[in-house]
Amino acid sequence: METLTMNMILVMAMIGVAVFLFIVEWIRVDVVAILMMVTLPLLHLVSPKEAFIGLSSNAVVSIIAVIIIGAGLDKTGIINRVVTPILRIAGAHPSRIVTAISVTVAAISSFMQNIGAAALFLPAVQRISKSLKIPISRLLMPIGFSAILGGTVTLVGSSPLILLNDLLTPFHLKPFALFDVTPIGLCLVASGIACFVVLGKFILPQGTVDETGVEQDRVQGDDSLPDLGEVYELHTPEDFTHYRDAILVKDLRRRYLVNVVALTEPPDFKVIPPPPEAEVRSEIDLAVYGREKDVQRMAEGEGMALKERLEVFKNDVADHSAGTVEAVVAPRSTLDGKTLSQVKLQDRYQVTPLAIYRQGETYRAEIGDMILRVGDAILIHGDWKRLQLLESEGNLLLTTPIDVEEMRPDKAIFAGIWFIVAIVMVMVFKIQLSVCLMTGALGMILSRVLTIDEAYHAVDWRTIFLLGGLIPLGLATEKTGTAAWIAHTVLGAIGTVKPIALLAIIGLLSTLFTLVISNVGATVLLVPLVVNLAVAANADPRMAALVVGIATSNSFILPTHQVNALYMGPGHYRSVDFIKAGFVVSIVFLIVTIGMIYLVYGA
Amino acid sequence: MAIITISRGSYSKGKEVAERVAEKLGYDCISRDVLLEASERFHIPEIKLVRAIHDSPSILRRFSHDDQAYIAYIQSALTARARKDHLVYHGLAGHLLLKGVPHVLKVRIIADLPDRVANEMARERITEEEARTLILKDDEERRRWTQHLYGVDPWDSHLYDLVLRIHKLRVADAVDFICQAATRDAFKTTPASQQKMDDLALACQVKAVLIDSFPDVAVTSEYGNVLVYTKGSDRSTHKLQKKTKELRDEIGEIKYIEVHAGGSFPPNAV
Repeated sequence: METLTMNMILVMAMIGVAVFLFIVEWIRVDVVAILMMVTLPLLHLVSPKEAFIGLSSNAVVSIIAVIIIGAGLDKTGIINRVVTPILRIAGAHPSRIVTAISVTVAAISSFMQNIGAAALFLPAVQRISKSLKIPISRLLMPIGFSAILGGTVTLVGSSPLILLNDLLTPFHLKPFALFDVTPIGLCLVASGIACFVVLGKFILPQGTVDETGVEQDRVQGDDSLPDLGEVYELHTPEDFTHYRDAILVKDLRRRYLVNVVALTEPPDFKVIPPPPEAEVRSEIDLAVYGREKDVQRMAEGEGMALKERLEVFKNDVADHSAGTVEAVVAPRSTLDGKTLSQVKLQDRYQVTPLAIYRQGETYRAEIGDMILRVGDAILIHGDWKRLQLLESEGNLLLTTPIDVEEMRPDKAIFAGIWFIVAIVMVMVFKIQLSVCLMTGALGMILSRVLTIDEAYHAVDWRTIFLLGGLIPLGLATEKTGTAAWIAHTVLGAIGTVKPIALLAIIGLLSTLFTLVISNVGATVLLVPLVVNLAVAANADPRMAALVVGIATSNSFILPTHQVNALYMGPGHYRSVDFIKAGFVVSIVFLIVTIGMIYLVYGA
Repeated sequence: MAIITISRGSYSKGKEVAERVAEKLGYDCISRDVLLEASERFHIPEIKLVRAIHDSPSILRRFSHDDQAYIAYIQSALTARARKDHLVYHGLAGHLLLKGVPHVLKVRIIADLPDRVANEMARERITEEEARTLILKDDEERRRWTQHLYGVDPWDSHLYDLVLRIHKLRVADAVDFICQAATRDAFKTTPASQQKMDDLALACQVKAVLIDSFPDVAVTSEYGNVLVYTKGSDRSTHKLQKKTKELRDEIGEIKYIEVHAGGSFPPNAV
């Protein structure tokens, strides 16, 4: 057995640091990767050239191209056109809807980034939930899981699989082809959907839906939760402002949790919506959004007259001109990490934020000061036109279909052609994956499906640097012999194991790693290790690597996967909901993966 | 109608002034009674409460949550009493414990060091040197305590509406001035200012209940809408959320309660 060298200890220390930082999140994961990129050459564990080799790797370039192609398909609305008839066929039965959308999202996710596919479907699913009165919690989780599972259908479906061939290069192993994983991936998608269709009643939170389509709280049956009220109209008396300090719109919100969405200004102006600093004067009418008991409390406390129905504002806040939408903070939104007060939502778009849902909790008081996160759902009231404007900015995903984004449906044909060109190149010609995909991406830009600036903007640089920075760490693990050393030590400790048992252990290990550190991190660290393990144990090293590439998508138990984080707010899920459903799906995932590898490849 | 807080050093005649003001206006006069009330209500020995509001924090105690808890108990007892109005409170930090309430007249009574030394000598039968050392030490303790808990110096006159030096002005003069100030319009209890007082009392009540199990919370209340802030992450706040929901049923005055995690505490929170 090889002896432990100083370099091996250093590499293990670096792995330790990376894993530690991934878990504690003192700095963002992509910054950890950049830290590795810089530290490894400084410690002479890789050469300076090798340190940055990740950025020019097949995997990184492929991901950039996949993102651009996905953005192009999205931009032309081609995906929506495919989806609409499918939803029509699905009808109104929850199981059929879940199955139809899950299959579609998995298919799209097999060629797009998982999070992109998930974000694309969120508004549609919210709409279906409302119109068919199916609790959103019963729809979103199966669909989110399918988006993740769809990533295992092709070699470009998820970052770990795109990365896989690059990680195999140092071992001189035969690379995988685009559809090598498809049988396993399809089985995974099918079994995932089957889990929810068969066991959905037991593993999914069973919410009920009220008239507004907003889900009622499932646990406490609590009156303060999603009952967010409706629009009421009030009138202030003549002596409203006598003998007291001026009452401002924001005061009413803080005191009674009632949002003023419109008020009259003498002689006959209407302010819709009034700014928070607007004064509520005598003898005016105001339209407010709030719970009935809060509005009554305000009417009594401040001496206002509550009208039985909308009168003055019946045309201004009626359904055809204004309404309430649930807006979800999108992945990579500029709102992430900021507060509503900081982004001045109200000033800029003249819409009124009413409440925020997060992790199964509803927040209604002082929401302007809450730091927003991806997946938070904000309930917003406003004029449809202004809500459209808000949606077009792309930071929020809105429930209600407002087609304002500068879509280019006329380019759909080009987008489709270039997508097929890329796939055919991958399948037919023996050209490197990144070259084929980049050809498709370039084609879309040249045929003006999207501009080059839009393409740059679409690329998620966090993912790029995460991949690029971790690749040298994997390289160092292999180059210094650390991976081989750990593999031999582990095998020495546990003795000889059957190849199938080894694959099962690798699958379990990958699952655990992907839950605490990112799927990319888990892949980079584990692939060199398991290849060495498999060689030492006389198992197929390619299959061992494949198990890692697939099982790092087995991220369902905790809401750490981007897709789960995105769906948590709008689905009103709590962590325990993910643990319950995720546990079942994760076990099935592992059994199916190992079983399929055994059957298909006879490992 | 007003609330008067009188901040004083030892042997500054503050207590005497407070008692005579209360007598003249027909108000209640309280000081240590608040500690007693708190110690009964929260089952804490009174001596611990006295230490919490008097001794300056030692290195060890700086890290202990106990003091914060005791202060919360005292503040809860004081605000519960103060919302009934017609009150003179003399003692440490009344002006800080009742912050944000418009109808509180904040008074500081000071006296010259030689006068205080003479008083202490007479009372304790000690030498001038000993008396001086004791008084200076006491002043320093109080100063460090206020700075530690509130980040302000009790000798900063900006904290008060009225600073009176008992020397040429006698106790009777001080009483006259204070009574006159207390009847000004600015210190009249209005429905709005009473609402602020009620909200402060409610926030203090909620905090006193929570602080035992959740040391790291701050509470605000406005018209009975209570917001509990915590620095902890969302995961650790699950228990806190459950507790606040119980509180809503226990304390009838709470119209609405919500937990906000992760952000900073607003300046008006207790």
